[in-house]
Amino acid sequence: MTTRTPDRSQDEDQARAHAALLRDAVVGRVSRRDLVKRGAALGLGASAIAGMLLNYGAAKTAAQGTSPLAGQTFDMKILGIEGWPPSQLGVDLATELFAPFAQQTLGYTVNFSFEGAPFDQLFQRAATSLQSQSNEYNIIISDSQWIGALAARNWILPLNPIIEQNPELSIEFEPTARAGYQVYPDGSDQLWGFPQEGDTIALFVRQDLFSQQAERDAFQAANGFALPQTFEEWEQIDIDQYAQICAFFTRPDQNLFGMSTQWSKVYDYITCYLYPFMFSTGGEVWDPATGQVEGILNTETNAAAMEKNKSFLQYAPSGATNHGIPELVDVFTSGSIATCLQWSALGPQMMNQQAGAEPGTVADPARPVTPDGVLIVPPPGFRQADGTLRRTYTLGGQPWVINAYNTPEQTQVAIDFMKFWYLPETQAEFAARGGNPCTIEALAAPGFEEQQPHFRAYKYMIQNERSRDFWHSPSYAEMLLAQQEAFSAYVTDVVTDPMQALTYAACTQQQILFDSEESEIEPSDACADATL
Amino acid sequence: MAQLETQLDGVGSAPAGLPPAETLAPPRLRGGLRALDDSRFFPIFLLTPILIFFLVWNVIPLLWLLGLSFYRYKLTSSRAEKYVGFENFRDIYESSALWGTLGRTLTFMVTTVGLATVLGVGLGLLFWGSTRMPGRRLALTMLFTPMVLPPIAVGTFYRLIYDPTFGVANYYADRIFGRTFDFLGDKDLAFPAVIAVDVWMWTPFMILMTLAALGSVPKAELEAAEVDRLPWSKRLRYIVLPHGKFILMLGILLRTIDAFKTTDLVYLMTNGGPGKQTETVGLNLYRTGFEAFQMGDASSLAVVTLLIAVAFTSIYLYVLNFRESRAQAQTGAGA
Repeated sequence: MTTRTPDRSQDEDQARAHAALLRDAVVGRVSRRDLVKRGAALGLGASAIAGMLLNYGAAKTAAQGTSPLAGQTFDMKILGIEGWPPSQLGVDLATELFAPFAQQTLGYTVNFSFEGAPFDQLFQRAATSLQSQSNEYNIIISDSQWIGALAARNWILPLNPIIEQNPELSIEFEPTARAGYQVYPDGSDQLWGFPQEGDTIALFVRQDLFSQQAERDAFQAANGFALPQTFEEWEQIDIDQYAQICAFFTRPDQNLFGMSTQWSKVYDYITCYLYPFMFSTGGEVWDPATGQVEGILNTETNAAAMEKNKSFLQYAPSGATNHGIPELVDVFTSGSIATCLQWSALGPQMMNQQAGAEPGTVADPARPVTPDGVLIVPPPGFRQADGTLRRTYTLGGQPWVINAYNTPEQTQVAIDFMKFWYLPETQAEFAARGGNPCTIEALAAPGFEEQQPHFRAYKYMIQNERSRDFWHSPSYAEMLLAQQEAFSAYVTDVVTDPMQALTYAACTQQQILFDSEESEIEPSDACADATL
Repeated sequence: MAQLETQLDGVGSAPAGLPPAETLAPPRLRGGLRALDDSRFFPIFLLTPILIFFLVWNVIPLLWLLGLSFYRYKLTSSRAEKYVGFENFRDIYESSALWGTLGRTLTFMVTTVGLATVLGVGLGLLFWGSTRMPGRRLALTMLFTPMVLPPIAVGTFYRLIYDPTFGVANYYADRIFGRTFDFLGDKDLAFPAVIAVDVWMWTPFMILMTLAALGSVPKAELEAAEVDRLPWSKRLRYIVLPHGKFILMLGILLRTIDAFKTTDLVYLMTNGGPGKQTETVGLNLYRTGFEAFQMGDASSLAVVTLLIAVAFTSIYLYVLNFRESRAQAQTGAGA
């Protein structure tokens, strides 16, 4: 395994030149011929240059027409997730690309700033500001489940009339992304958000370990099947085989463990990583039409799924019940675990790859895991009765939503920005920097799957209903709180019966939905004894 | 007599080297201001700014909180707030989970305050009796450091210290016991682990209060006790404690109230987990208000919490005053 020495200044210069070229192309300041020449000089791939060329005209078309805002200056603030690279990417592109675009083609000056809050505090920050009818945050990168609460209070703009008036925004998104990031109530045609960043769960594998011949031989001898080496081979791995793989690599004496994933009580961490065990084995969590939870969440199927999920703790390092997003990045890149179930959007971080640099550039040379030693593949499937494999994992990612208390001018700038964001060039640049696009066009672009190491797994998991979102309900926060407590209590042995934890969560959630008049179903008498 | 007259003559005159008396007198106020100065409303006038501040930032929010506690109001719901009378308070009364949290908070409070007091008083006495110790001042400064650190820093430090993979605590646990512990993830260890950090953090405060209490003891009485060769236990009981107990009780009172509302440390270290094993009332309140956004429920819980804190304060003050008045009564009867 080789470790490339990062030459930061060179990389930064190249990134700047790349951005400048894209900017020039977007505003039509460069001819097609020069575009090809400069792109080739920068070492861009043929697909990247072709993408720019193909959509060269579209950018100019979008840019045509005089904005009524011409000559004015606007300060726009985006609220996003602190420490979450995709959020930062959106703001970087707004500042680097949209600001000059707006200046040159729309005739106004716009200055973007970013304010971040951690996942578990993002909604609190947004809600308290929106409750006071403030336009402090003009655009908000919300978590997908918050759309219900934001829409129910009319804190964000409904997008249907905006899309009607701006047909450029009638974009075809991957159906999973549309359902997860745009629609509320579920199943309706009412749109409230634009996908900012798609995300799915992926399996990160220490390929440097897995590819060692001695390991492969030993595993084959011990388990009777070969250690998977490729994306296609991992596609065929079911959860029981994955458990065998994890068991094989669990070697506490070498400070090596088979796997880890999110079991933390914080925010939605354990929920997002326990649900796939339920969804993929036929379990459900509620009926969005009637708001029924009791009897749907607390079932034997889901109890078995919880047991299965918990059984993986034996292959995880000590302290895994506190593992959330950052802990997993740390524990994986420090070489303590052989595999890790984690959000695909964290591909560069999980691979110890320097953000924004050429793929393969090591971010922290002191860490044993390097980009060329990691393989990103689909998470394990669950064997069905008919022998087929099913993967229904939780959808991650975030939409953009527009503050309803913006001034008309601010709303117009936000709409202009959205139009710019979904230009094929912008989406291509977003992808080039590691962001997960959601448009059908971007996902189908030639060479997309090879563009970033995590793109193939991301595309695989976001398509064909392999990922799904949950609870677009205004009561999301309360329901999540009760459930996180219940799930955390079970994995930490505070309660040992999974059905007890499920019943507590189901009864509490049923009461919440009944109290908020989102459901007419009252908790049953059996709930009187439900406790943790 | 002549000498006395001479002395009296000198009363009104300035001592040598100082300006004449009239220049030292406060400047005369003009008519309106003088009238205000003489007015009985002048003290109220002076107090007005702080009263306004108190009204705006304390009284009005408190009344608002009280009013909100009678409503079902969710920040994330599109439905208008609904008056529900005492229903929120009834829910608190009927919630076994909340009673569990309250019990845990009281356990936390009694344990942390008790341990910090015992350790604080012990260390305070040692420091008090070691005035000739070299580097005493530096040692005291170092000792007070945990108290001045923000809980957010302490919580973060200890999360790392307790970390099962690379934490220092587990390094030593491994060397001593031959195994590591998941201090913050284990249902039996998490609560004691948090208590230990709180005691570490607030023992210095009790040392400080002990030193202040000991400083209030008249030296003459201590010297008399020394001359009489009173044993240490009796000196503490009959001289130190009667003089220092008010300051010490004040320290315990402040710590009790503070421990009862502990939120930040627990939030950072365990987020109330595993399950609810370390959840305190303060954290429950925070989560109800700012994670579940149930403002009505959170307000009613805040009112209950406030009443409990007021009750603690009253009990302490009553005990303190009761003993004081009994002592005075005994002194009076003896006379």
